[in-house]
Formats: sequence, structure tokens, C-alpha cells
Amino acid sequence: MTRLALSKALNEGLRKALENDPKVLIMGEDVGKLGGVFRVTDGLQKDFGEARVVDTPLAESGIIGTAIGLALRGYRPVCEIQFDGFVFPAFDQITTQLAKMRFRSRGNLSLPVVVRIPCGGGIGAVEHHSESPEALFTHTAGLRVVACGDPADAYEMIQLSISCDDPVIFFEPKRRYWDRAEVDTAGGLATALPLSKAKTVASGTDVTVLCYGPMVRTCVAAAVAAGKEGRSLEVIDLRSLSPLDTGTIFESVRRTGRCVVAHEAPVTGGLGAEIAARVTEECFYQIEAPVLRVGGFSTPYPPSRLEEHYLPDLDRVLDAVDRTFNY
Amino acid sequence: MAVKVAGRAASAGPARHGGQPEPAEFIQLLTPEGERVDHPDYPLDISADEIRALYRDLVLIRRIDFEAIALQRQGELGIWASLLGQEAAQVGSGRALLPTDMAFPTYREHGVAWCRGLDPTKLLELFRGVSHGGWDPKAHNFHLYTIVIGSQTLHATGYAMGIQRDGAVGEDGEAVIAYFGDGATSQGDVNEAFIWASVANAPIVFFCQNNQWAISEPLERQSRVPLYLRAHGFGFPGVRVDGNDVLACLAVTRKAMQAAREGQGPTLIEAFTYRMGAHTTTDDPTRYRLAAELETWKLKDPVERVKAYLVRTNSADEKFFAALDAEAAQVGARIRKSCLEMPDPDPRTMFENVYAEPNALLESERDQYLSYLDSFEEDAR
Amino acid sequence: MSELRQFKLPDVGEGLTEADIVKWHVQPGDKVTINQVIVEIETAKAVVELPCPYEGVVAALLVPEGTTADVGTAIISVEVGAQASVPQAGPQPLAPRGSTSADLVPPPPAEAGESGSGPGEGQPEPGEGGQDTAGPRLHGSPARGQAAEEDQERQSVLVGYGVKPGSTTRRPRKPAAPAAPADLGRTDLLAKPPVRKLAKDLGIDLTRLSGTGPSGSITRDDVQSAARGEVPASGLRATEPVPPARDTVLAQVAPVAAVAREERIPIRGVRKHTADAMVGSAFSAPHVTEFLQIDISETMAATARLRTLPEFRDVRVSPLLLVARALIVAIARHPVINSSWDEKAQEIVVKHYVNLGIAAATERGLIVPNIRDAHSLSFAGLARALAELAGTARAGRCTPADLRGGTITITNVGIFGVDAGTPILSPGEAAILAFGRVKDAPWVHQGQLAVRKVTTLGLSFDHRIVDGDLGSAVLRDVGAMLEDPLRMLAWT
Repeated sequence: MTRLALSKALNEGLRKALENDPKVLIMGEDVGKLGGVFRVTDGLQKDFGEARVVDTPLAESGIIGTAIGLALRGYRPVCEIQFDGFVFPAFDQITTQLAKMRFRSRGNLSLPVVVRIPCGGGIGAVEHHSESPEALFTHTAGLRVVACGDPADAYEMIQLSISCDDPVIFFEPKRRYWDRAEVDTAGGLATALPLSKAKTVASGTDVTVLCYGPMVRTCVAAAVAAGKEGRSLEVIDLRSLSPLDTGTIFESVRRTGRCVVAHEAPVTGGLGAEIAARVTEECFYQIEAPVLRVGGFSTPYPPSRLEEHYLPDLDRVLDAVDRTFNY
Repeated sequence: MAVKVAGRAASAGPARHGGQPEPAEFIQLLTPEGERVDHPDYPLDISADEIRALYRDLVLIRRIDFEAIALQRQGELGIWASLLGQEAAQVGSGRALLPTDMAFPTYREHGVAWCRGLDPTKLLELFRGVSHGGWDPKAHNFHLYTIVIGSQTLHATGYAMGIQRDGAVGEDGEAVIAYFGDGATSQGDVNEAFIWASVANAPIVFFCQNNQWAISEPLERQSRVPLYLRAHGFGFPGVRVDGNDVLACLAVTRKAMQAAREGQGPTLIEAFTYRMGAHTTTDDPTRYRLAAELETWKLKDPVERVKAYLVRTNSADEKFFAALDAEAAQVGARIRKSCLEMPDPDPRTMFENVYAEPNALLESERDQYLSYLDSFEEDAR
Repeated sequence: MSELRQFKLPDVGEGLTEADIVKWHVQPGDKVTINQVIVEIETAKAVVELPCPYEGVVAALLVPEGTTADVGTAIISVEVGAQASVPQAGPQPLAPRGSTSADLVPPPPAEAGESGSGPGEGQPEPGEGGQDTAGPRLHGSPARGQAAEEDQERQSVLVGYGVKPGSTTRRPRKPAAPAAPADLGRTDLLAKPPVRKLAKDLGIDLTRLSGTGPSGSITRDDVQSAARGEVPASGLRATEPVPPARDTVLAQVAPVAAVAREERIPIRGVRKHTADAMVGSAFSAPHVTEFLQIDISETMAATARLRTLPEFRDVRVSPLLLVARALIVAIARHPVINSSWDEKAQEIVVKHYVNLGIAAATERGLIVPNIRDAHSLSFAGLARALAELAGTARAGRCTPADLRGGTITITNVGIFGVDAGTPILSPGEAAILAFGRVKDAPWVHQGQLAVRKVTTLGLSFDHRIVDGDLGSAVLRDVGAMLEDPLRMLAWT
């Protein structure tokens, strides 16, 4: 076990993937010589060469489009989109081509491409560097969408995503890149939690709190604070946003009877809305209150001096928890 | 590889549409009247047999296209994108490919599909709405039709980058050809593909069929310079060929593909041709172009000129033409029959092949939908 | 051998729902080949030529020039002969014998003017009749004057078959199969949010209720009943009068307004369900009821003696116990009385088990919970089951499972103080036994006039399954066993 920052855990996972399969490629802007603007790919070009760790032209559509071509040729490209807000030039290739080519070809074509996207706010940045666009991709059939919340998951999930035969949009919580935790880099993936499963990070009895990516740490802190007030929160890190691990979700909500979903993305039309609808439909007789959602407002992401007002924090999560008891 | 670029053409100002006038420079080996001409950069050693075979390709692909239009008019296809007028560009370039080369078409390359050995019936599935693409790309090294304009040029470039990584570049190497139209050259993806291919020196030929029209918009709305010159801006050679001349298209594509295979990087071929028909069967070209223009291009018909050549050189007799007519009629009838007999897909297939791995949500949706369908009294659908 | 085929007006991909027939190129009697242009139709300011899908002889033009036809309407009928499928050497789009390319592409429409006046600008279009056009026109020609002036924008979809009108009626569904109750996880407390709120407002503890709703959920009625504190009457204590419903006052429903001339009680819940069942039963099975008056004195005495036995110390024993046992024995002797009529399979299903239903009157209405496999219970077991059933019914805690699957029913009408009744079969059953009040009455006993305990048994049965002699035999047997309970021993 080693204590690693989340970004370093990703680096280790990418390294393992490059070692284990000669078809794995990494491609993106500044990923080679620089090692990535967040150093997630640091050192990899030096060790695996320029053919496998590729500094690409500044063209997101081109990154995904050529990755598709490489995948058609039998490679497993891992693309990096430098920041969440810059995924949009690639949105066409991701949604019209990457997501659909298996279906279009009736299973004849397979595109095992991973698109890594650092996401979320809280880093005091200018526009387009703090987005949470996951709902646009969970709404697109044919894509797997995942989000890691801690270093150990980052290490395992990046490798599982690369070996998955479906295209995976891999969200990395950029403000958690420097969070450290114990990661087992020696063991293999045999005992890793499957990519499609959610993880209960705090067990509780009173309310089920669902979260992913950057909000996991926030919700765990909220659970600790709530515990001191005598309220027991069950916090679940969804990990897989599409498909959702509804089994784990429903089992928990049926036990606790209350549910709060927390994400940075705007509440309106966000993933929380999908979860709330499903929970209400499947757990109708067991919920004591409607499913409440905590998230961004229905505004573009604000200037960094206001982002603390926009991003849901511990107090906003616990406020929602309190409100579920008003019914 | 030297590219003949006429100085005049380079400074000719905005590209003119409708073939008025004919561009000053393009590679031609067979005139519209069916006379052979030579070009120093493109020696073509071709036998009478081979030319007859090319003629047969042209005739049959025109017949297939005609039959498909008729089928659409009869309500048997939802839509059809006709290649009328572009047969030579497609057959010429299609026959230049080696079996190991990979082709990425748009949605009009029925002539290339024919050359790749694809059963034309398979093309109909997409237009009939039975599937999104009825063939396995790997079986013929012919990718599915891509409807998003220009998108496939990036896929083709990535594929070529994969060939490089496989070490399959060399005299006996593999190369990629990417087809797209004049309108597509405005798309960001096509320009990005040019960037990537040039920077990576990828083994790819970009084959642009400039048929003068992107639905209703003439070439002059897409570019201020002749399209083949765009390549120079990206740092690789561009060449313009008479897109209605099957021999020229064959020779130019062969040469460019070989250069790519051998590691010399990409080439842009602009096949200067004309879309004789409508953009698709739901388009009405009389709304935006003049009949006189069509008349001009009829005189340059790609199929006619080959026939004229065969007749002029006594390379084919009445028996040959009659047999070909009969074969064409049979091909047309076979296309018709296959189309009419095409079964509708089972609703169950809607839920298949979305993911490689099992997906519980999709499975439950499918099960619920199938039992919902089952809950109706009669088999209404 | 020829066949008459019709060509229906297709949707040529412009979102057409109709088109005008502009000009026919053929007449009845003409030979036609596949893909030969037969008609020009007009769509959205362009004229489209339609190629013929058949080869044969034109039989009739079904829509005249100048009229509008809906997409899908047959416009021409062609007599298709048994000819080779290869089209004749009619007009072909191939390289023609001549050396011009004129035949390859249909000639364009003659333009009325050269100066860039686009199509559809109101210029009349000279006709094109008489051309030997070889194939379908690939682009439309300018519309005729009037149509061009009409600003009729048909919605061009451009990329597909066009818009289909949605349906305006529902397709008929098959009768719904009873759905298996969903796995609802925590099943102890099934109540929808509005019911929970009602319970909270009325101060009712949901955990102490059993539900009568779907999947055993607690309904609004359940909560309101509990709030009114009512006890449902059971049909088991034959000798006691029905305790009056206690109208204790916890119902905090709408305050009583001024007394109205009518009161409307919504048809819901148990009452609705029972009513539906009764209607279903009454109007599908032909009911016949037979009566038998018997001297039940021996049974009454036996009941009293049973109560003193240790085995029956802790359980309620009533004459109903012996009636139940007698019926079960009678079923063993006449199995067909315990069956059901399967209309769909056209079979009578004789059950070799007895799920004995006991009709119970409750505040919410009549329910018929049943004792499963009553035939296999010991006498004491049957007594216990009856007592339990009474208790559950009274408390309103019967589950849907209790209420399903009965094979025969006993209804105790005696508790209402009447002698007999003509009971209605429980749905799916073949017989129902009504047990009237026990009263002292003059009777001929051992040849002498005496005062005996007398009661009337009524047996309604489904005359499709049960003939008069069977029904009578069953009734007689039950009566005989109740007149002398020892017969129950003799006959088992």
C-alpha cells in the first residue's frame, strides 16, 4: 500500500494499463512532454515513447475522431480532454460516432476508447474550467460514464475503463487531484469493485445520500458532522453514472426511507433528476419524503469569487437532509 | 512527388461553379469525346480488357443507382443519394485500391462499394430504414456510410495512424482512402484531419469529389481557392483530376495511394465532377440551378466517353454492348427484388448491440416493451 | 395466369399526405414495364414523375387528372402477366444505341424565361407530354401557374419517408393477467404518501394496521376505519346477536353539515370489489338454490359437549364448526360440488382440496376469507382455523392471499336473524351453503310432537356444473350429518 494523491493514482493506473497491453495509447494536448497540465500523465511518454503517448494538435474533435480510427484499427486509445469546458468541440464525435458505432454496425465494430475529462469546480478558475457536463453523456445511449471519488478508486477504475470494450467517459474530480489516500498498487484488479457498482462509503440508517466525483468527500464530511448531531447518514459513491447501480441505491433507500442526491452540476435536468424519478417509482411505498437534490443553480458557472455560493457544500447537503424530515 | 499546379489556376480567384469554364489544369487521360491523351506524370498502362471492365463497372453502377431512385419513387426506400455523374470518380478511385487498403466513404459512394465487392443490396438497408448500415466493414475494408459530414475523415486519419503503429507502411504496405465532398471541406473535422494527417505523415489519400454543389450551395460558397490547393496550406500535395475521366481517376489515385503506402504521407485528390442528379431524392435542384448547366455537363458524361472510346478503337462490338445491357437489366431486377423482399427488423434488435457488456436497465426496458407489445389483441404492426 | 395489381400513391419522401395527379402518361390497355414513367404528380411546387412498379397491361386509371389523392390510395391498376421477371427491352436508362447522352438523363423542363426566374414563380409550364423519357425525373419541374401561386407549403421532411399521421384511437389490449405483486422490499409498511399523511393527521399508527389495498398496502379506507375505531362483525357466533357497531367518535373527518336529503357513499374498496365479484358470479353462473329444514338439536348438544373437552378448552367452538366439517365430508362423497367452471378452457376443474371460505360481514362490506386445505385439518385444527379467521376478519387484517383461491363457501345468515337465504356463489366456485338461524320450533321427533332446535340449510349451486340430484345429495348429506353428528365419523 502506498499513500498517493488521486492524480498520482491515475498516473499509476495508466502506467499499469500501458504495461499490460501494447495496444493502449494515450493521446491529448500536452500529455506527452509536459505530462499533462495536471501531471496525470507525467513520465509516461519518457517510458513508453511518442508513438504510445501522443502530444496531439490542439483539436478536440480531432482527438476523439482519430481515436475512433485507431480503435477501428485495433488500438485502445485513452484520450484526454484538457478541461471539462473544452469537451464541446468533441461532443459531435463523442455522441454521433463514439457512442453509436457499435449499434450502427450491429456489433461488428467495437470502440474501446476512454475519454478522460477533469471536471468540476472549486479551483478558483476562469470560465470553462469548472463544468460538470456528465448529464449530457449519461443521456447518450452507448456510452459508459463513470466518476472516481478517491485515489483507490481512481487507480482501479481507470484500468477497468481501459479494459472495458465499451467507450467510457471518465470524469476525474480536479479539485480532488491532490487528495491523498492509501492505494494498493501491488495487487491486481481481481478484487476490484466492478466498474458498474456503487460503493457505500459511510453506513447509516436515517438518510441515503447519493453522490459522485468531487462531492464524495463533501458528503462524507457532512455525514461525520451529522453524526455529531445524532443523525445517521448513509453515503453512497455512485461511481458509475451510466449505468446506475440501482440495486445498491434502492436497497439503501428502502432501509432509510429518505434520499438526497448531491452533485455540482445544475439541479435542473441533472443526473439527480433521473435518480429521483427512479427512486420514487421503485421505492414509492418506502419513502417518507420526496427525493431532494442539492446542486448548482440554473445559471452558468459563476466567476470564481462567487463559486462557493454556487457549489454545494457541507451545509447545503445537511440542509437538504434536514428538509427531508419536514414531511 | 511533383504536383502540376498551374500558376493560373492558383491565382484564378474564387472557384467558379457549374464548370464554367473548365478549370485550366486538371489531369485528364480520356477526353469527353473518348480520345486518349497522355500526361507525363501519370503514365497509364491499361489493356482493352481492363477498359471494357471499367466500362462495365460504370454501366452497372449507373443502373443500380437508377433502380434505387425508382424504388424510392415507388415508396420502397425512404431516400436515396444518387451518384449520377460521379461514376468515373468512384470507379476510377475504387479500382485503384488494393484489397488491403481501407476506404472510408460518405453516403454516396455506391460505386466504390461496388468495386470493393460489396453486394449492392446491402447499401439499400440504410436507405430503406432497415438498419444503419448493412455490412461488416472488415469484410470488404469499406467502412459504414457516415452521415455526419466530414466526420469520417478523422476516423480515416486515425486508422492510418494505426497502420503506422502496426509498422504496415512500406512498398507492400497498407493505406487509407477517405471520401468526402466539396461541402465537407468547410467542416472543422475535415480540416482537423488534414492537420493530423500532415503532422503525422499518415498513409492516407483524401479523395474529394467536387461535384460543384452541396445541396443548393455552389462551390464558391465553400472556398475562395480551388479545393486541391488547400492541401498546400497544410503542407501536403494536392492534385486536381477530371472526375468524369475514369482513367485519370484510376491513375492519379493509384499513384497517390502508393505514395501513402510507402510512407510519403497524405495527398489530396480533387476529382472535378458534377452531381447530375439531386442531392437526394427529396431535393429539387430546379430551385437553385439552371438547366443549361446540366446540358453542359451532359456533354462530359463519364460513361458515354468510355463507350465512345470503345467504339472508336473497335474494342467492343454490338454483342458486348447487348450482353452488358442484359446484365444491367438483370442487376436492376435483382436489386428491385432484394429490396422488396427485405424484411423489417424485429423490435427486439432495437435493444441489441448498444453496449458490449450486459446492461440491466436496457434488458429490463426490452423485456417490458416486449411484454407490452404482447398485451395487444391483434398483431397490428 | 395474370393478376391485377394496384399501385398506391407513395410518400415520395417530402412529408406528403396527398398529391395532385397532374398528367397520366399511359391509358388503359397500354403495355407498361417496370420503372416506366406512368404519371406526374405534384408535390410542394414540384412535379415528380412516378415509375411503374409492375410490368403488364394497364387495367384502369383509378384517379383522374386534376384530382387530389391521399398517400396510400390506389391510383392505377395493372394486369400483371406471367412474364419473365427481366424487364422487356422497353425504354432503358443504359447507354443507348445512339451516341448522344441525351437519353441518359431526362431532359430538363423548358424554362419560360432565362433570366434566373426560379421555378414556381407563377410561370406557366409547357407540358412535356410525348417525351420518351426513360426514367424517373430526378428533379421536379416548375409547378403549373395556379399551384405555384398558392402558398401551400407542404412540410418537406427532406430526409426520410415523411411524416406519418399518429393514431387517434387505442389499440385493444388483451385482458390483463393478474400481475404478480412486485417485490416491494420492506413489506411491513406499505402506504402511499397521501395515506401516510392522513394517518399522521388522524393520529393513527400505521404499523398496527393491516392493509386491504393492492399488495397488502394500507388504504385511505383502512386508515379511516381505524380512526372510527370500528370492529367488523364476524359471522361466527350464531347464537349471539350482532354487536352493534361502536360509533366511537375518533373519526375526525369532515364536520357534519346540515342534514341532506341524500347521502352519497363512494363505491370503493371492499364494497366495490365484492359488488364486482357478485355481479360477475350472478350473471355468469345459473344459480339454483335448494332448501332443507333440519333438526339440529344433536349438533347443538354436541357443540356444548365439545366445549368441555380439553382439546377445545382454548378455542371457540360453535355449531359452524360442525357445519364446516359436515360440508367437507359431503365434498369427499360428492367431489364435483367442489369445482369451478373454466370457460376459456371449456373444462370443469374439480378440486381435490378444500379451501373453505367463510363469508364475513365487516363494516367495509362482505369479505370471504378462506381456510386453506381445510380438508386436511384435524377437528381441533379446523376449530382453531375458524376462530383465527374470525379474529382476522374482525380486525380488518385479512391479506389478499386470505381472500383468494377459495373452492367452496359457507355463509352464516343466521346471525342476521333470518331463517334462510339464496346466497350468491363466490366467483369461481360451484356451490355455497347458507346456514340460517337456529330456533326452537315444533318438530315431529320420534313420532311425537316436540320442541326441537331447528334450522334451514340453503345450498346454491352452479347449475352448469351441478345437477339437481347432485346438489340435493350434498344438501341431504350435510343435513343428515348435522341431525346426527356421528354420521361424520361413519362417513370418513
